[in-house]
Amino acid sequence: MTSERLTGRLAEIVGADQVLATASCAAYAVDDHVPKAIVFPGDAQELSKVMKCASSERLSVVPWGNGTQIGLGGIPARIDLVVGLKRLARIIDHKPGDLTATVEAGMLLREVQASLRPSGQFLPFDPIGYERATIGGILATNASGPWRQRYGTARDLVIGIRIVHADGTITKGGAKVVKNVSGYDINKLYVGSLGTLGIILEATFRLYPLPAVEHTWIALFPTGEPAACAVAQILHSTIVCTRVELLSSVAAQPVGRQAGCAFPEGTVAVAVSVGSVPEAVDAQIAAIGKLCRREGAVAGFLVEGSAQDSLWSAICNFSSASTDGRPWATLKASVLPTHVVDTIDHAETLARNIGLRSAAISEAACGIVRLYWRGAPGVTEPDLISIAKGIDELRHWVVRHGGSLIILSAPSAIKAAVDVWGPVGAALTLMRELKQQFDPFGCLSPGRFVGGI
Amino acid sequence: MEKRRIVQELAAIVGPEWVISDPDELTVYECDGMTYLEKAMPDVVVLPDNTEQVVAVVKLCGREQLPFLPRGAGTGLSGGAIAVAGGVIIGLNRMNRILEIDIPNQRAIVEPGLVNLALTQAIQDHGHYFAPDPASQAASSIGGNVAENAGGPHCLKYGTTTTHILGLEVVLASGAIVPIGGKTLDCPGYDLTGLFTGSEGTLGIATKVIVRLLPHAEAVKTLLASFHAIDAASEAVSEIIATGIIPSALEMMDRHIIRALEEWLHIGYPEGAGAVLLIELDGPAAEIEAQTKQIKQICDRCGALDLRIAKDEQERALLWRGRKGAVAAVGRITHEFYLQDGVVPRTTLPRVLREVEAIAERNALVIANVFHAGDGNLHPLICFDSRREGELQGAIAAGAEIMRLCLSVGGSITGEHGIGMEKIDFIPLMYSPDDLEAMRRVRAAFDRSSRCNPGKLLPSSRSCSETTISYRPHRVERDGLAQRY
Repeated sequence: MTSERLTGRLAEIVGADQVLATASCAAYAVDDHVPKAIVFPGDAQELSKVMKCASSERLSVVPWGNGTQIGLGGIPARIDLVVGLKRLARIIDHKPGDLTATVEAGMLLREVQASLRPSGQFLPFDPIGYERATIGGILATNASGPWRQRYGTARDLVIGIRIVHADGTITKGGAKVVKNVSGYDINKLYVGSLGTLGIILEATFRLYPLPAVEHTWIALFPTGEPAACAVAQILHSTIVCTRVELLSSVAAQPVGRQAGCAFPEGTVAVAVSVGSVPEAVDAQIAAIGKLCRREGAVAGFLVEGSAQDSLWSAICNFSSASTDGRPWATLKASVLPTHVVDTIDHAETLARNIGLRSAAISEAACGIVRLYWRGAPGVTEPDLISIAKGIDELRHWVVRHGGSLIILSAPSAIKAAVDVWGPVGAALTLMRELKQQFDPFGCLSPGRFVGGI
Repeated sequence: MEKRRIVQELAAIVGPEWVISDPDELTVYECDGMTYLEKAMPDVVVLPDNTEQVVAVVKLCGREQLPFLPRGAGTGLSGGAIAVAGGVIIGLNRMNRILEIDIPNQRAIVEPGLVNLALTQAIQDHGHYFAPDPASQAASSIGGNVAENAGGPHCLKYGTTTTHILGLEVVLASGAIVPIGGKTLDCPGYDLTGLFTGSEGTLGIATKVIVRLLPHAEAVKTLLASFHAIDAASEAVSEIIATGIIPSALEMMDRHIIRALEEWLHIGYPEGAGAVLLIELDGPAAEIEAQTKQIKQICDRCGALDLRIAKDEQERALLWRGRKGAVAAVGRITHEFYLQDGVVPRTTLPRVLREVEAIAERNALVIANVFHAGDGNLHPLICFDSRREGELQGAIAAGAEIMRLCLSVGGSITGEHGIGMEKIDFIPLMYSPDDLEAMRRVRAAFDRSSRCNPGKLLPSSRSCSETTISYRPHRVERDGLAQRY
């Protein structure tokens, strides 16, 4: 189908003003692949019709929330159409007494929080770039942040879902109740499937009450080892934390700068939040402070109020917090909690060898390590192939230690040289089988997922 | 004879002592914890010792085109472990080893036949426990908990089984061994672990389970609040949640249960109590103290007759004794009962319970209610006497009405017992033909042959006709030896 005919067909469904073509498409390129058209359906029926039209023409479709995580995923095999979900942006239902809410995929997380806040509730997502992230994007990429320590990830929070399938069929999974074992727990299949099985239309979440008080203790350590020991001690204690973050010395500096607290050069920072009633927060923060000192912290201080907000904002938006050196790749390693510091050290060594600096921000108690590889000041910029090799080498190390490593974002040339996802083993056959069942013509985000799915 | 040949082949795989084909011995396997449906006899039961033997058995079933299903302790309540199509039951009870305990990383790797409570017992000296606590936890296997995505009173705060399962090794109907998920979080690819958990043995056989372990809380406090009526108790439930407290358990019992318990165990509920709430809090001591005060105020405001706070472990056990004995107590006041399992949004509880009462009246039955109030998970016990004409049909009709009622307020027809055989004809009330088609695709991706636990979870075609199911309570249940909730 020609671009003109395609935009004509789409305009019939959504109206001409909701279709972009030609020059405007460049802003929606995925790994330098520019789509033929962008379409913004206004409701579920329009989205369904768009998909019906696209599948009848065997067009490849990539869903788009606000593009904050579009860097995640392999280079698309083809991309004809981007389906923008920004008009599907309502809270469909919020039942404060049931602590549940049903939200359309295109709604910004920020706006969801604003509308829940008057009820003293929130949806505990704080992934990278959360200020601009949409609900659908967070679910499709299974994005998470520091709050996962206490509240888990999308798989734990989604209780119901509505999906538009490749052929336009709309189905639901789950219900509006927190406990439900009727049929397969199909919500889990769509979370993290990166638009390869269907397009998420809306989701129902279990919500949490905002804690009465939340404080953060920051402890600074001379090296990673005692910092990791402190985290392990906290993890095995009776302290209930909402967030536990370990920042490598390279990461701690820019985060401290942005949050308005100066961390001495070379120190590793551990930030731990506790949310509860005031008495319990005070008691637990005191226990954390004592424990960190015992493990060798050189300094420690309490952060609350707006300072606390800026600290966590700087942690979650680290890529914009750090301005030194050009960003080359953002990686996410999932390792055992006992391997966090070794992973950070190993990444630093490998990055240094190719002339980069590796900053690490880690949900240490969960074993999640985000690595930001940037150019080092005064060092010649490396070639992309060496970076790809460095990533591959790090992945081998992580996999050998039982973990996994994915690329969250990198230039296409790096992605072309090293697999974004890494190995998934014998499960790949099952995943391909699922893809075949749900999208037999390979129309949904082809090439972006594991094993080229 | 064909069967003899197959039995011999199975014996060659697992050893003759681990194959059961004698009809008398097979009767143990003709049903599981749920006998509301017709029983069904497997052709043969085989008890493998390891993954390789499971693979060999499954491959044999493939070659002979035999249906097969996994079975743990057989405590499931929806008939998931009944060989409705005959074939081979693969009992996993011998595969009950703990393969790895990794306290520093708070993980364990176990075999599916391990009894739930045995894992907690093995790690309690390390100050950790395995959180899922279905009522059957002293008997049910972790593999069975995975298959059913088992719940329990404490999943209100800690989540159902799926929250605690990080990875699996599964044997597919093809005989392929597929590790899914892992010891680390966020494994790349589709969340097959999440999809497999709760799949009721229809996607394959889990042969290894990687679980999350939790450290014990600093403090636990158990409270018992009594009210005149269900409405006031429900209001207290809503207020507790609205205050921002997430109790580790929040359980309610109605006047029928209270009466049955008083007659049997003499718990000492206050005179005139029409509903009691069992509330458990756990966490940091200072938090529990503050929350106890808040709950006291809420109970006062909602007109509680009495609030009892357990002073020690002994009193805590006493307060739980009533709750744990509730179903068995009902067994003493009725000839038979049909245990339902449905979920409604918490705020609809007063209305839904009034409706349940109306359903009881319409069908001239007593329906007793004991349930996980915090997450809206109802367990109506529909009392009947099958010797009296029409009561059995009335009980089944009332069960169906309750399921429809749950759906009408946006809930679910099962919160923790599963679809199994019991509700296979009711799942089309909850999901459209297209919704079910998506589930069928999942099944097809794992098992194109549909030989893995056929006749469970999904109706075989797009038709959604309701068939009459006959109900018979289990012997042990009638005798008050086992309980269901």
